[in-house]
Amino acid sequence: MVDIAIVSFAQCPSVRMAEKPEVQLIVPVVAEAVARSGIPRSEIGFTCSGSADYLSGAPFAFVGNLEATGAWPPIRESHVEMDGAWALYEAWVRLQHGDIDSALVFASGKSSPAVLPEVLALQLDPYYLMPLWVDSISMAALQAAALLQAGDHTEADMADVVARSRKAALDNPNAQLAGDLDPEKLLTEPYLVAPLRKHDCPPISDGAAAIVLVAGDRAKDVCEHPAWIRGIDHRIEAHYPGLRDLTESPSTALAAKNAGLRDGDVEVAEIWASFSHQELILREALGLGDGVDVNPSGGALAANPLMATGLIRIGEAARAISDGGRHRTLAHATSGPCLQQNLVCVLEGS
Amino acid sequence: MTSAREPVRTMQQLISLDYTQRTNPLASRFGQELVRGRIIGHRCPECGRVYSPPRGFCPLCVVETTGVDEVEVSDRGTLTQFTIVSPVQYYGQNERESYVQASILLDGADTPIGGQRLPGIPHDELRMGMRLQAVWRPEGERKLSGGDRAWGGSGIDGAVSHFEPTGEPDASPERYKGYAI
Repeated sequence: MVDIAIVSFAQCPSVRMAEKPEVQLIVPVVAEAVARSGIPRSEIGFTCSGSADYLSGAPFAFVGNLEATGAWPPIRESHVEMDGAWALYEAWVRLQHGDIDSALVFASGKSSPAVLPEVLALQLDPYYLMPLWVDSISMAALQAAALLQAGDHTEADMADVVARSRKAALDNPNAQLAGDLDPEKLLTEPYLVAPLRKHDCPPISDGAAAIVLVAGDRAKDVCEHPAWIRGIDHRIEAHYPGLRDLTESPSTALAAKNAGLRDGDVEVAEIWASFSHQELILREALGLGDGVDVNPSGGALAANPLMATGLIRIGEAARAISDGGRHRTLAHATSGPCLQQNLVCVLEGS
Repeated sequence: MTSAREPVRTMQQLISLDYTQRTNPLASRFGQELVRGRIIGHRCPECGRVYSPPRGFCPLCVVETTGVDEVEVSDRGTLTQFTIVSPVQYYGQNERESYVQASILLDGADTPIGGQRLPGIPHDELRMGMRLQAVWRPEGERKLSGGDRAWGGSGIDGAVSHFEPTGEPDASPERYKGYAI
């Protein structure tokens, strides 16, 4: 295996509605990540991006987004119609070939132009469930109801997740929602889709993020505290939600095992729980104890720029090492309804 | 089990999604200046290329451009390429006569304007290097419509009705080399 490290990370503040086109959100983020990487842009060996044209309703938006990379002279490039965490996975695999030593990964999404739950109802499953118009929030509410009925968790646990996340986001200048909330007061709010209240759901966000990966000794040359990718894996469950036990996340557990999560204790876990109850499921699947600092950034409940949220988890977990003095951290990303697909990445300092 | 004789039933599912695309602030600025009779662009502070309409960044240098990089470009330019389209009468094709799709590189800009129809110029007189000038719509009839399109020629047609020959000698190929479309 080629040792690969995250040497720089940049993101723009998440906002409910960005005035600028998506490519203009990406330009400063890519410029910052590349500048901070210490790798000249012309030497970056591979570029991979994650985005979804469905969100902004602009066919081939991902092609326009490439303009943010300075693709001249021509570059080696790829795109995934997935969150940027999967773009990072592809870049990691590409760097394993060993013929190049650096890669730029970026991700972007503007969820603001349409009604997001409707877009996701079509995007995630245009065949089997779409005629029922099962939107993303209703799907998550079914999962939350199943979890509560299983008896190990309560709505108060969910409110605690929200309060802790929004409080942590007070320290995150890129977060969209932050505040010191009283969990008991949260429980008096009306349901949005029972048992989910509005605060149990993520904000709708526009945003972008970028990461530069560097392989081998060069990572040590360009970065004082590189965050080494010790393990990364992703797994997917059945397409049809009725075939799954929605109260647990076996794909997360398997990805974590394959990523070597159990090889040591992690200090920080940046996990993508779009809905408060999903953090409870993911904590269990990942076996996170009380000593782990979960989502010090505030997580997806504080900012959820779809297609970048997962890459931001990896960036934040790397930042905890590069800037925060931590040694071993975990990042998790998800895709599909009710945690259908999950990626786990374990990072370590030198 | 379903009986073999039971007819297959089908259902129609008509779906749509509504998107609200807000006008990019830069496109608004570009359109407002067009209404005033000016064509503006942004000059990249690193490479000096002028993008019109302004993009807010240079896609070659990956640097942002802002109001301080704004420049005015000429309403005169050079024909860099053209295609004479002979319409095939497929369903929905409203064109009956051959027409032109041309690109014009305005003086002072590095981004040709595509999709120009060049009405009134006999097709056998078209040639690369031909000098052209914008014919502005009368003040008060200029509209912002189409101003948010970065690609193609529709970005200016709310204010410029068409281009006509200036009568100047043709530009040398050196002037438009590398600026085909």
